[in-house]
Amino acid sequence: MEPFSVVLSALLLLSAFVLMASKRIHSYIGAFRVQAVLVALNTGLLGLTTVAATGRVDLLVVCAAILALKVWYIPRVLHRTYRAVEYRVEKDFLFNIPTLVLLSLSLVVVVFVAVSRIGAVQDGTTLVLLVDSLSTALVGLFFLISRKKAIGQIVGLLAIENGLFVTALYASNGMPFIVDIGVFIDLVSAVLILGVLVFRIESAFETTDTDAMSDLKG
Amino acid sequence: MKTILYWLLQVAAALLLAPLPIGAIRKVKALVQKRKGAPLLQLYRDLLKLLRKSAVVSDATSWVLRAAPFVVFATSLFAAAMMPATVRVLPDAFPGDLILFFFVLALGRFFLVLSGMDAGSSFGGMGSAREAMISALVEPAMLVGLFAVGLFAKTTSIPGVLSAMTALGFPLLQPSLLLVFLAFVLVLLAETSRIPVDDPATHLELTMVHEAMVLEDSGRHLALLEYGAALKQYALLALLADVFLPYDPFAAVPGVPGVLLALVAFAVKLLFLSLLVGAVEAATVKLRFFSVPNLAAIAFILSFLGVLQFLIPGR
Repeated sequence: MEPFSVVLSALLLLSAFVLMASKRIHSYIGAFRVQAVLVALNTGLLGLTTVAATGRVDLLVVCAAILALKVWYIPRVLHRTYRAVEYRVEKDFLFNIPTLVLLSLSLVVVVFVAVSRIGAVQDGTTLVLLVDSLSTALVGLFFLISRKKAIGQIVGLLAIENGLFVTALYASNGMPFIVDIGVFIDLVSAVLILGVLVFRIESAFETTDTDAMSDLKG
Repeated sequence: MKTILYWLLQVAAALLLAPLPIGAIRKVKALVQKRKGAPLLQLYRDLLKLLRKSAVVSDATSWVLRAAPFVVFATSLFAAAMMPATVRVLPDAFPGDLILFFFVLALGRFFLVLSGMDAGSSFGGMGSAREAMISALVEPAMLVGLFAVGLFAKTTSIPGVLSAMTALGFPLLQPSLLLVFLAFVLVLLAETSRIPVDDPATHLELTMVHEAMVLEDSGRHLALLEYGAALKQYALLALLADVFLPYDPFAAVPGVPGVLLALVAFAVKLLFLSLLVGAVEAATVKLRFFSVPNLAAIAFILSFLGVLQFLIPGR
């Protein structure tokens, strides 16, 4: 199982970079969906090992919840929101894509240096898993601050959550069931509220560019 | 004697198999578009036809235009012969080196770029400038990817790398090699003028890259250039097949039949990789030229992450 989870964590990090390099809102959502599939695979893999070892099935339930929420429901809500508010393609990022991608790469190096200073982590495999998942969260954070449109920022928030979820998964071999479910309920309500907020921003400013919100009115 | 036989086999396999992947890619594309498409072996016929025709050379050109087809063909053939067509390598034959492999190909590209500019036509110059830019963009990805492979094998000599990869069994299960494989697929697409970077079937000179550089060549010279391009693609596909899919199902069969079976397995791997390229080609559109740096940046980070994934566990 271990080689597969290392490969999956590398692919998860890669999906964060794909997200960072995509230009259109639809490709953000597609990349997020791929990332969610990878998170579900990670959870399912760990779930299968825990079922075999201890008979706990809660990780498999969490995996099913991820498939239902993050792979199916949330992307659908985002697509619907996007269709309703956006009718033209606009530039949505601060720097050009090669710069963004290279800056994200430096984040991975920073995480590597920081995590390898933690004396408690001795095992090479754990180190790789931690570096990959923490970098996924940080690249998600950078994605969030590098996009100007509200939908891109929602996707960034979700990407951070993906990274943190997988970090917790690797660090603790599965959090208590109630915590996972609580996080999911928070996530769904956050996406729904943010979706409504996008409509409000759109109707107030006639754009979903959040920079417009810092201009004084009057 | 054995060494001579080995090299004869290498050169013959390269010359015979080189036009096959292009035919396969075109066929996949045609089938996806619900066309019948040209026969699989069309490129062989085209090359034979062109080889029988004499070349027309403008008297406004220099020796570069006449020399370039031969240099391109020779360098591509050399690189292609360096990559074992069977996974079995003869240890005491000329070993070859991955860095040499890429820079021999770069020498051919240098002459191709010069010959594009030699006739002084504006299309040729444009194609050359674009080719030079693309190669400069993908070179970091390629070199860093090579370092990752070299770190794994602790050598860059081709037999050393191949034996290290064969010892791994399925190299693609290693995260660093998986990322480098993806980077090399992107490099392959850019280096062989396939679709996200260049459209090999275009009829519009303004969008051509490779085609624009060979506009001035005809007859035998064109045949050599096209054959050279096919050999270069074969060499890069063989690199992917040998380094990342080194599995040899007939490793137990000894002697000549074993070598022949390994050759068949290799051809199957080539066709599989061509299908992959054909699928990419059918699924994507040509990038706007100024979006090519984005693709190159992704290829670079793939390679770099590959190196990091190797270094992180602290081997």
